[in-house]
Amino acid sequence: MPIQITPSLKENIDNFETLFSDCADIKKRKIKVGQKLEQQCYIAYIEVAISNVDWKDSAVGKFLQALRNLPEEELVSYVKQNVEGISDSQPFATMEDAAQGMLTGDVLFFLDGYNKALKIPDKGYPGRGVYETESEKVIRGSNEGFSESIKLNTALIRKRLRSPHVKVKESFAGRRTHTNVDLVYMKDLIYPGMLEEIEKRLKEFEIDGALDSGIIEQLTEKRKYSPFPQFQTTQRPDRAAMAILEGRIVLLSDNSPVALILPATYNTFIQTSDDYYSRWEIASFTRLLRYLASFLAMTLPGLYLAMTNFHTQILPTDLLLSLAAARQGVPFPAAVEIVIMELAFELLREAGVRLPGANGNTIGIVGGLIIGQAAVDANIVSPIVVIVVALTALCSFAVPNEEFATAFRILKFVFIFLCAYLGFFGFLLGMLGILIHLSHLESFGIPYLAPFVGADLNGYRDERDTFLRLPLNFLKKRPVYTREGARTRLKLKKQEKK
Amino acid sequence: MFADNWKISLRQIKRLLILDIFGLSSLMLPRILSSMTGADGIFCLLFGMLGGILLVWLMQKNLKNIRGNYYNYMIDATGQIVGDIFMVFYFLYFVTLCSFVLYQTTNLVLTWLLPEGSYVWVSLLLLLLATYGTIRGIEGRARVYEIIFWFLGIPLLVMLFLALREVRVDYWTPIVSSTGENLFHGTIAFFIFLLPLTAILFLKPFCRKKDKLATCAGSALGIVTLMNGIIYLILLGVFGQNTMGILKRPIITLMSMINLPGGFFTRQDVFMTAVWFFALFALLHTGLFQSTLILKELFHESGNRYSLCVSLLVAFFLGVGFFENVFWEEIYEIYQKWIVLPGMVGILLVLPLAYHIKTTYTGRKGEK
Repeated sequence: MPIQITPSLKENIDNFETLFSDCADIKKRKIKVGQKLEQQCYIAYIEVAISNVDWKDSAVGKFLQALRNLPEEELVSYVKQNVEGISDSQPFATMEDAAQGMLTGDVLFFLDGYNKALKIPDKGYPGRGVYETESEKVIRGSNEGFSESIKLNTALIRKRLRSPHVKVKESFAGRRTHTNVDLVYMKDLIYPGMLEEIEKRLKEFEIDGALDSGIIEQLTEKRKYSPFPQFQTTQRPDRAAMAILEGRIVLLSDNSPVALILPATYNTFIQTSDDYYSRWEIASFTRLLRYLASFLAMTLPGLYLAMTNFHTQILPTDLLLSLAAARQGVPFPAAVEIVIMELAFELLREAGVRLPGANGNTIGIVGGLIIGQAAVDANIVSPIVVIVVALTALCSFAVPNEEFATAFRILKFVFIFLCAYLGFFGFLLGMLGILIHLSHLESFGIPYLAPFVGADLNGYRDERDTFLRLPLNFLKKRPVYTREGARTRLKLKKQEKK
Repeated sequence: MFADNWKISLRQIKRLLILDIFGLSSLMLPRILSSMTGADGIFCLLFGMLGGILLVWLMQKNLKNIRGNYYNYMIDATGQIVGDIFMVFYFLYFVTLCSFVLYQTTNLVLTWLLPEGSYVWVSLLLLLLATYGTIRGIEGRARVYEIIFWFLGIPLLVMLFLALREVRVDYWTPIVSSTGENLFHGTIAFFIFLLPLTAILFLKPFCRKKDKLATCAGSALGIVTLMNGIIYLILLGVFGQNTMGILKRPIITLMSMINLPGGFFTRQDVFMTAVWFFALFALLHTGLFQSTLILKELFHESGNRYSLCVSLLVAFFLGVGFFENVFWEEIYEIYQKWIVLPGMVGILLVLPLAYHIKTTYTGRKGEK
């Protein structure tokens, strides 16, 4: 049963302080207002969330100053009438709602004789501000990255998409964290049903705390046992804006610098922002490289095993002899050798991520150069295996999306196992299995392998932006996940003849 | 939204049909034709294609009459009992096709990829994968082959182009030297390989553009005949009639002989086996999918769990049986020639006739 806010300030203070007892971080003050300083009000706020340095310049400071200049009998009517004059202020009728309003980082104001609590905005929780994104680096394009503040993130998107068609739908996730979740989309571009689908999925769970968008992602994914992510993630506002322009929906979660984009396909995971900022030749070349990298990141160690253990007839004799010479003295079978090196590499990667910046780099150098060389010198592994593992790692780093690359890192071990026991047959089985899996996988109704499959739905136009990124004037239409009838992205005006 | 709508495109159907027919025919047909007809094998392909066109025409006649699915149409045209008998006939065709292709694929794997492997395990793994694909439905199946089509097609075309250097044109002679009987048998052999085209009769409810299904089958027929013709001429030009008649899978032997100019690998046969592996798997998958679908419709099963289990078990034991009993291959050949072929054509002839008579009779009765 919610506690109603009453005109009695004392009653309200008692209720509020019971609710927030033993909360040292929450500051509560009784202040006298009115010309004669005879009427009492009460403000409450989270210590660091409001500007205590320059109190007079803040909204709450100015508001209190105004109240001090008014006669006591006019205070309540003034507050009632001027609530809307303060931007983002909000009256609450119940104590629970008022408390929730304060917990968003604003000031809560109670006045004797007024049966509502008023939320007065201030600077909010401390945040990092706009910083350069650490992942998804680009050669050309903006370097701004999302931060932990959802308001800042929506503003960064708005900054790029200055259209009234951009809508932001707010909801909350986490019973105890009450985390803001915003769905940002272009109203006239999204495919009918997609917004309803994500809203439905967001309502399908009730969790204690949604501390990051990753939790929301996992809870709203349809195929939970697939290694492939069904949401695209980004820390780049320009990438998010680009997705919105394609009729996709961006999901932002408070306290998370990672935005989720839906729907997602294999092709969208391979694309980067600068694919569209650079000339089409280089964009196509790097796109092809990334596709190849995604394939090799998963299969290279397995293919090496299949070739050296089962199908040596395909290798030139010289190479075969040098491979045999390199493996002389190594006590382990090739499969064990590969697994040891792959696990060692994964350990290095994990250690590098957990250690602070400079130390992380050192670990990479120490691990890669010194341990690798020492392992070869000690005849624990052969040099060719070090090369294969290093190449595989390079390939996995070339995949632009971390979550997507992780799928290949995991599947790599499946391929090692299959190829170690079944050779090239194992490789073919693995490829077929993954193809079958991917072919039925979908993200919010869009086939994961689109537009390689089902391209007929958009007149085969989406194929112009896959392995190759054709010149921009060929990409006149938006992809298939945009609403039908709103797919024109580019209109070329004919040059006037002189 | 788009996915999970159980609808597939014409491009997907065409590519699926091409892979279905191409795999087994390009692997087995050159040897069969060469031993029977020599250079005249090319005429068998042409006559076979004419037969195929007739088959597509008959299918088109039937497709026009299908309102819901093929089973309902058969019941409408010939009644429940005859409809059920026809369905059992189709089930047997597809399930035996699945087992035979399983046998061929396992053989391919054991010969070229895993000589020390066990045929039971290889067959089991292949069937499990096909089961996984079948569970994922028709859309998933169609997408797999849509996507791998050019990944298989381009390397194959490159290899065939490179093989042209080895072709001796004098091996293409003598022509028109075979007996009519041999030509007839060769034609029948090719026609039998075209019978998986009949799968489109069951695909109508799943297709986005239903009215162009027969055209799609016709186009697949043309491409497969062309590819088989090219392969046959190249193989004949490289090996000659006598050698090709002995080689079990001449096309893969050819792949082991071709060297890529400036290539790193000395032999490409292992990689190129992938083309036939995927193509044969497509047909195996078709066999399992169709037989499951037929059983499901026949027994009005809501899901497909039991139908799949039955199809799977039958296909597995028959497939393994081919290894245990060498004479089964001959029995299968006889079954295809004397039961499947006339049966398929017969059903396709009977159904439109029966449907026509029934609709005319019902129409007149209605008028009265």
